[in-house]
Amino acid sequence: MSGWFYKVAYPCEQAREFMYDYLDGQLPMFKQFRFQIHLNGCTECREYYLLYKKAAHAYEFRKENPPPSEFLEHTLDFLRKEGIVGDDDPATAPESNPVVQS
Amino acid sequence: MSGNGPSDAFEEINSEELLADLLSGGGTGQKAFARLVRITHNRFLGFIQRHLASPEECREVLQETYLAVHKGLPGFAGKSKLSTWVYSLAHHKICDRLADRDRRHQELTETHEGALTTEANQADRLAPVTAWDAAPDRVAARSAVETLIGKAIEALPPQARLVYQLRDVEDLSGEEAAVLMGITPENVRVQLHRARRQIVDWVQEKLSRVGTER
Ligand SMILES: [Zn+2]
Repeated sequence: MSGWFYKVAYPCEQAREFMYDYLDGQLPMFKQFRFQIHLNGCTECREYYLLYKKAAHAYEFRKENPPPSEFLEHTLDFLRKEGIVGDDDPATAPESNPVVQS
Repeated sequence: MSGNGPSDAFEEINSEELLADLLSGGGTGQKAFARLVRITHNRFLGFIQRHLASPEECREVLQETYLAVHKGLPGFAGKSKLSTWVYSLAHHKICDRLADRDRRHQELTETHEGALTTEANQADRLAPVTAWDAAPDRVAARSAVETLIGKAIEALPPQARLVYQLRDVEDLSGEEAAVLMGITPENVRVQLHRARRQIVDWVQEKLSRVGTER
């Protein structure tokens, strides 16, 4: 069946309101089914959903722009002067997490 | 949905072993603190960078956060995860800094009547955050949509921006974000959905403009 039928049966706005729960796996089975049918027939909502999902997974593309390592050393030096950190062995320390650049 | 993102070393800061070492004081405590800093430095720096533009301010706020962690550790009751608690301290430090800036701005506007508008102040607060090391080639390598999403985040109102960043960028769980923001998890859910939709609408609007300009 063509997309317009599902737009009448199931308005785009409702489909968009369900995106959070669908992505979270919280949408009840029958609503999930209707959601998928709507997306199959509606290009606009499909595009909207892809962007919504991309936005919801922003943590996946935050792995950029790690600050210079001197920056970490600067912080550690500051805390050493405050007597808060002692000398540690960087070789056994885990890699720091990457920085997100929004 | 903690653990939504890739598993990483960051979760180690929530280990009981590290907490015990941190609380033990002395040389062990100092070593543990250095470890905490190494594990969390880039994560919290990133968080701060997304609210404050100046590298110098980011550096200071990060240092203030670690000082607050050290000071508060003996009283840390473990009611939340250690990471959530550090996030909340960092968030407070950012808010303090922004409030300071607002106050200074207020003094300035009182001195130079009407010279600076509230809008200008708002724009300053929400100025695009550009990393000092954001090399042009790295930026260019990002997909256009990711870049647009980054810009859309900057255009969000402060509360929406915070909830989105905590949940979808920092990958905190709904409960953690709720604790940090002092709202209910259901409220986090509602606000997060609204923020995501604002981002999508913003990105779509920009994309459609590019389409019509062609
Ligand atoms: Zn639709």
